[in-house]
Amino acid sequence: MIIEVNDLKRSFKSVKKTEGFKAALNLLIKPEYVEHHALKGVSFSIEEGAFIGLIGANGAGKTTLLKILSGLIPPTSGTARVMGIEPFSRTIEFRKSISLVMGQKAQLWWDLPAVDAFELIKSIYQIPKTVYSERLEQLTELLDVKKLLNTQIRRLSLGERMKMELIGAILHWPKVIFLDEPTIGLDVLAAAKLRDFLKIHNQKEKSTIILTSHNMDDIERLCSRVIILKSGEIIYDGNPMGLSEQSEKQLRVRLAIPLTQSELSKLTGISEDQIEVGGETQSGDEGGEVSSDPNSVIFSLKQESVIPTLQILMEKNQVIDVGIEGQSLEKVIKRVYESH
Amino acid sequence: MSHTDLPRHWRSAAIINGFKDTFAYKSEFVLEFFASAIVPAAIQLLLWYALFKNGNKPDIAGQSYADLIAYTWVSILFSQVRGGNYDFDLAEMIRNGTLSQYLLRPVGAVEFVYFRGLSYKLLIASMCLCIGIIASAFTSITIVRMFGAMFLAFLGNIIAYQLGAALAATAFKWEEAYSVLMVKNLVVQFLSGELVPLYFFPENYSWIWKIFPFHLYVYGPTQYALGKMSHEEFFMNCTQGIGWVLFCWFLVHFTWSRGIKNYASIGG
Repeated sequence: MIIEVNDLKRSFKSVKKTEGFKAALNLLIKPEYVEHHALKGVSFSIEEGAFIGLIGANGAGKTTLLKILSGLIPPTSGTARVMGIEPFSRTIEFRKSISLVMGQKAQLWWDLPAVDAFELIKSIYQIPKTVYSERLEQLTELLDVKKLLNTQIRRLSLGERMKMELIGAILHWPKVIFLDEPTIGLDVLAAAKLRDFLKIHNQKEKSTIILTSHNMDDIERLCSRVIILKSGEIIYDGNPMGLSEQSEKQLRVRLAIPLTQSELSKLTGISEDQIEVGGETQSGDEGGEVSSDPNSVIFSLKQESVIPTLQILMEKNQVIDVGIEGQSLEKVIKRVYESH
Repeated sequence: MSHTDLPRHWRSAAIINGFKDTFAYKSEFVLEFFASAIVPAAIQLLLWYALFKNGNKPDIAGQSYADLIAYTWVSILFSQVRGGNYDFDLAEMIRNGTLSQYLLRPVGAVEFVYFRGLSYKLLIASMCLCIGIIASAFTSITIVRMFGAMFLAFLGNIIAYQLGAALAATAFKWEEAYSVLMVKNLVVQFLSGELVPLYFFPENYSWIWKIFPFHLYVYGPTQYALGKMSHEEFFMNCTQGIGWVLFCWFLVHFTWSRGIKNYASIGG
């Protein structure tokens, strides 16, 4: 295992700030402290070469976990080992083997072209010149930023800058890469390019990648395993497909005679909040007008209830059209989150 | 791997990038250099004029009007080398979490920030040295003394950064470390000989500036360049400076290794 985490806890203490003049005075004389538990006993292990998605709402503990694993902050208790090393010891060997990319923080020199920053990185990591040239060629080619190497960083667009940040972060070929929201603020094309690149790099170089993202496209397309954090605890750890299997299906039917929500509930025995009448239909081909159709019904059902429900509907009503859809990962995660 | 395949050392690479960074805004650099030199000099010159010409004094603390004018002009050269707000940068990085990017690289963060800003200081030192060498053609300043004085000023620059970095480490525990650094800067301005020559101190109180290393920043180099410090005293000052560099190295190591345990890496 390249990463092993056992009962990891981390809390932060901060001064409690309240409104008003009296509160401000109290803050000076007798400050009150509040303790926030960012991680509450997290345990997991990761195999070498894995691509892991770390999901959770804001404040769930994702970034704290990445900071502990990259050695920026120590845990309050519990243990973490990355490549067998305790991260906070921050040995030179450890720092040479990892990388952390934070989507919101720039690491490159603002007023210099990216190529100058990369030259410095080459020197910091003592990358031989020929290896450096090969890697730079490969990375700039993959990310389509070759012609921008000599442009000042501050003159680049957000997407171009993010690509440069990523190149700067992995030029030394780290064994473990931590990516904190790498596609934040990027347009669809730039995000897709970045995702393709990460996938290729992971497969080719067998580097272990841990990614946090609010963009479910990133998780769905890249990660073979997801860890969902809620309020500092793991609420799901497994295959993203496993989440979908556990989740409800959407049975879409178009009836010949429209029925109300309560009539459908009586007919099928399914509660009304799982039935949506008047789903959207599109006239003509792609691009046609989208309108609400009273004959269209969507049932949110467990997998095993789909066929029996369909049978009842077909017996009692004329069904013109049928479709079964899985829920989007985003919805599935929302449901997992709400059920915990 | 052949020897030619090896990249240059990171310290040289950081200095080279620092040069490029400085030259990205050439006029800003030149303007900053002259403005920060001229304003304090103008204040001092006005003060000497008021004391000598309007006060009709033949000398102050055994120094003539010409001596003080010379002190003002020469001290400007060395006070430019002393400066820099890298300690404020460090405190800010700790406070807003941008220090994280330096902590993850396999180089010391404090050292890296110093080398990143060193090029700016090297450029200023070279310009000051050139001015000093030109001045040697018209004054009693010698080229050898000018080089010696610049060496001492650079030792002062290292000590100034190290002490600032050690104080900046208070930001790990206390968000308002800025105030500590501001107080330090005021004390430094006073005890380095940047505002007034330190021979103005009464004999009984001269121990105050002597126990600190600040006099090595401006006063020591200025006195040596002006020929008012013997070579023996100069070597004593250099030895003292090296001693301070070593002491401060341990101090930085101590404060940062303790402080880093409290680093919260805010943001992100």
